[in-house]
Amino acid sequence: MSSPDRLRFRLNGQPVAVPCEGARILLDLLREDLSLTGTKRGCDLGTCGCCTVLVDGRPTLSCLTLAALMEGRSVDTIEGISPPQGLSPVQRAFVEHGATQCGFCTPGFVVTATALLRDHPHPSREEIVRAISGNLCRCTGYTKIIEAIESAARETV
Amino acid sequence: MASTAPSPYRLLGGRIPYVEGPLKVTGRAEYTDDIKRPGMLVGRLLRSPWPHARLRSIDVREARALPGVFAVLTGERYPTPFGVLPITHDETAIAVGKARYIGDIIAAVAAADERTAEAALARIRVDAEPLPEYLDPRVGLQKVAEPIHARGLAGTNIQKEVVQHFGDVDAAFARAAHTTRVRGVFAGVTHAFTEPLVTVAEATPDGRLTVWSATQVPHYLHRSLSEVLGIPMHRIRVIKPEVGGGFGGKSDPLPHEIVCAALALETGRPVKILVDREDVFYTNHGRHPTQNDVRIATDAEGRILAYDIDALIDGGAWSSFGTVTTYYNGVLAMGPYRVPNFRYKGRRVYTTKPPSGAMRAHGGTNIRYSVEVALDQLAEELGVDPFVLRTRNALPPNSTTVNEFRITSTSFLACLEAARAASGWDATFRKLPYGEGMGLGCGFYISGSNSPIHFTPKMPQSTVHLKVDMDGGIAVHSMQADIGQGSNTLLAAIVAEVLAVDLDRVHVQRVDSDVSPIDLGSYSSRVTFMMGNAARAAAEELKGKLASAAANLLDVAPEELELVPERFRLRADPSRGVSFLEALHRAMEHVGALTATGSYQTRPVGGSFKGARAGTAPAYSFAAYVARVRVDEETGEIAVRKIWAAFDCGRPLNRLAVEGQIEGSIHMGLGQLLGETMSYRGGRLLNPSLLEYKIPMPQQMPEVEILLVGGDDPEGPFGAKEAGEGPLVATLPAVGNALHDAIGVRFHELPITPDRVLRGIDERRKEGRVWKGA
Amino acid sequence: MHLDPFELHRPTSVEATVRLAHELHGRFDYLAGGTDLLPNYKMHLNLRPHLIALHDVAELSGHSPTRIGAMERLAAIDEDAAYRTAYPVVGDAVGEIATPLVRASGTVGGNLLVETRCFFFNQSYFWRESLGFCLKADGDKCHVVPQKEVCYATFSGDLAPALMVLGAEVEIAGPTGRRRLPLGDLYDAKGDGIRRLAIAPGELLVAVHLPADAGSWRGRYRKLRVRPSFDFPELGVAVAARFDGARVQGLRIAIGGVEPRPRQFDELTRPLEGGALSDDRVRELAARLERSVRPVHNTFLAPDYRRRMVGVYVRRALADVREVRAG
Repeated sequence: MSSPDRLRFRLNGQPVAVPCEGARILLDLLREDLSLTGTKRGCDLGTCGCCTVLVDGRPTLSCLTLAALMEGRSVDTIEGISPPQGLSPVQRAFVEHGATQCGFCTPGFVVTATALLRDHPHPSREEIVRAISGNLCRCTGYTKIIEAIESAARETV
Repeated sequence: MASTAPSPYRLLGGRIPYVEGPLKVTGRAEYTDDIKRPGMLVGRLLRSPWPHARLRSIDVREARALPGVFAVLTGERYPTPFGVLPITHDETAIAVGKARYIGDIIAAVAAADERTAEAALARIRVDAEPLPEYLDPRVGLQKVAEPIHARGLAGTNIQKEVVQHFGDVDAAFARAAHTTRVRGVFAGVTHAFTEPLVTVAEATPDGRLTVWSATQVPHYLHRSLSEVLGIPMHRIRVIKPEVGGGFGGKSDPLPHEIVCAALALETGRPVKILVDREDVFYTNHGRHPTQNDVRIATDAEGRILAYDIDALIDGGAWSSFGTVTTYYNGVLAMGPYRVPNFRYKGRRVYTTKPPSGAMRAHGGTNIRYSVEVALDQLAEELGVDPFVLRTRNALPPNSTTVNEFRITSTSFLACLEAARAASGWDATFRKLPYGEGMGLGCGFYISGSNSPIHFTPKMPQSTVHLKVDMDGGIAVHSMQADIGQGSNTLLAAIVAEVLAVDLDRVHVQRVDSDVSPIDLGSYSSRVTFMMGNAARAAAEELKGKLASAAANLLDVAPEELELVPERFRLRADPSRGVSFLEALHRAMEHVGALTATGSYQTRPVGGSFKGARAGTAPAYSFAAYVARVRVDEETGEIAVRKIWAAFDCGRPLNRLAVEGQIEGSIHMGLGQLLGETMSYRGGRLLNPSLLEYKIPMPQQMPEVEILLVGGDDPEGPFGAKEAGEGPLVATLPAVGNALHDAIGVRFHELPITPDRVLRGIDERRKEGRVWKGA
Repeated sequence: MHLDPFELHRPTSVEATVRLAHELHGRFDYLAGGTDLLPNYKMHLNLRPHLIALHDVAELSGHSPTRIGAMERLAAIDEDAAYRTAYPVVGDAVGEIATPLVRASGTVGGNLLVETRCFFFNQSYFWRESLGFCLKADGDKCHVVPQKEVCYATFSGDLAPALMVLGAEVEIAGPTGRRRLPLGDLYDAKGDGIRRLAIAPGELLVAVHLPADAGSWRGRYRKLRVRPSFDFPELGVAVAARFDGARVQGLRIAIGGVEPRPRQFDELTRPLEGGALSDDRVRELAARLERSVRPVHNTFLAPDYRRRMVGVYVRRALADVREVRAG
């Protein structure tokens, strides 16, 4: 780290400088130190996807990422990808299709789906299934999540 | 059929997006772990590494001396036993005298941070004497050297024994034209909700204690906190933030919740306990490992004459819901067929393993699998089509079962017809090539428990309060617990429907025991039916007050008015009327904000014999599912390709939510069928992780075609019944029976892992029994 | 779950990395994607006081048709359609590793060197302490095959068998310079689930190199697991073949997921080279391979089933490459 005390990176579009020790996990930094609680802690071991954030635009498990390695990089959380007013197309589709039940996995799915549609605006059903296969949902059987992503893709024609 | 008829209601019967959806998709919904209080401490739990041990002494001096440690608790501090059922209080917040499974809580600390808390745990010295492990419930049926609980039956580990006999089963078997039997063996499975267990507690200098917790049943938690901590309920405030899934796993009052509150009392500081994922597996309370023996007698046409059922249920360390489980494993076999003679023996045995409890379709899942597989076997032996067999036995509407369940509405026959037609059954069953198959499985489940786990039985099971103020916004209070199933949305929609206002006028308030009237929470698929009726009653009362005010303004009788969106008007002359707000303001004159209360209490049903109330419900759901599967005969891998799910939930009030419950239930049912298992080596759970506990992935989900064919239930709110648990039970036997059609093998042991499939294929071939030419 | 404190180092060149590794001898781990190491650290498995993060060593990144840097992310290979077409066996393998989220951080080098796995090792400190620690971490006995000498933890990477059958070599940097060795030789043939690598602890995997003829091999990788994502391989079979008309000119098979190291079975495949890959020969080869591996009961699926699947998966993978040839 360039500075031993302060970690500097872009968080949701804004530069931040925060105290951070080497062993600090990104998820802990976001939730505990920066109060960005939209990113959820489901298993802490990379096996549920609830903690997904974008690192340099890529969906990433924040529970298995050292915060120190974010030096100079860009992190976007669910708070950052939500518009200041209203909902994004992906978020709107999740609401309209009932793709949230308990909602605990939802921020992770929204982050994953947002990146998918940014890179592949018209994914096939198989591509959607593959893209979300690192995010676990116990409520929906994934059916309505897949429908919501398909619908959001149609909307962005 | 109800599914094709247009809904007579403005909102209900449509697809209503969840009211809290926008908060959840933006990460703004607040869950318990998102709560941070000033000066909050971290609570951590020391868990037993022994499956069974006497705790001789626990030395906490070194832990307590560690800088940053605020409190260390052991079991003696709060030894009052508790448990979800008032008759089986056998748990303590922290183990007293004995540890009973690997993972049992034996001490707790509150510290400034996580590292300090863990360092403190490592400094607690426990002097323990290992006791015999009891892992196999069969062993516990006899007298044992060291019973797990003193309350076990006569020196055994039997927690509950149920013996029931209706009619004359032996005579029925003696005159039967045909009999069949199966033995089902079911591994334990667990809820695996994505939000871990978590509680925050804070004691304040005004003598009050506030507890935020991820719970399905805030009221039972409230009572348990009061009992164990010795504080009256009015000095405890329980708040339920958003809950990240429950499926029954957050319905018991859980020890960490009480420990968290105790630590807050001890330290005077807010405390959070987040139970990590591994420990969530140990806390368990999931579906019981079960062995059941089912014998069925029929006449020559396949009409059921008798069931004879024996269930051996592995309870784990505590009672939890176990007494109910023991009854349910028998009595939930009573539908959807007419069973004139019935005998049941059920035994639930304590073992030194994580406690089992209630999990979605509690008590009805494993027995349903065995019964439906036995019926499929019977149909084959008799040469009768599985649909025909079920049709011949369907329980009629407005009937009474031999154990005195009151059956009112049933659209079971419509379920059968719909599933048969949609799946193309007649052209497909037994006609697919080897390796492909179709199967039928049916379902039956309670729509709420008629006799709740209630401490004052004359009180209603659900109460809803409404408050409306100047601008016509309606605040709704109730202690029902939305855990993702959409009950807040239904609550708002019912109020909006009755009062003919837009949904955004209605605001369902967070559950808070200080202001929410009691509802018994989310379990036993009770919420739609009971809260729905209470909400309707509350809204009708409010509507009556507004109608009187409107009538007063118009100088007519209230009965002459009708309510349409934003307006009361004369039926006879719709041009004459007053606006909703005018009526409201008149009604508020001299009284201020308007309030209304509605409640619901089941009417007494069922027999008067011992255990008669178990399984009684104000209504029941019914289901007929057809599954289409493909089996890879070389690898034993199963692909479930499609499920036709015909379901009778009465009138579906929110189709989006009903579909979501059915799809999610199928997913969870497939998990138990295909690979989920609490796998033990000795008393040690081998797979306490979401990596090795195999929840199905999206690639494993079949196409699901939902057929909602229920007619109105006479007592359900707007004709509705449950859709939260019943949709699970038919999934497993539909697939199990489809596997038989595919490869000619009956699977009686779950999960049906690929190696078991191959073993089944091998055995059949070894016996030279050809199936579909293979 | 927090991590115990460690000192994090971020060298920027291979030479500096190797020097640091030499200084910290035995007291460090390399940190690549972290998707395997950090869960193990959270479970207190063999913690070291120093982590050397490799993210700033530019030479370790990137890939070309013949070279993959050790720090190249798995997703970068997975998303490179041209690469996957050129080397389908690698494409198969990389696309089936864990989940998209793990592949976004996980690296090629990390998958080649992934820690061996076992139900009795990949558990929390609490879990392992309650049973009594094992040979591979903190203890002195094996709970799979009770004895005190040999660890049976299973090699659970997917890429190694796939790259081995293409004749891949690895480039290793150490205090005395660089060397190359066949990928298969990276894994210690005389080792076990603990002593699994044939390189010194301070050495660094720099890159994987494919020979010029790698593209002329037609290959497939087939992975056995309970679920189509998340799960580590319970068996991984990679095959590669070259045909001259009906005759198979070259044939290689490597198997992972069943033993402490991935193994290539040239002694069984070489006798088939030059002849036709008839159904009978394939069947016989599959049966021999099935007899040659020794899975133990330390993963989700039963070992006899995994062994039986060796034959099925070999036959299917060979059928795939024969079809590709026909097509």
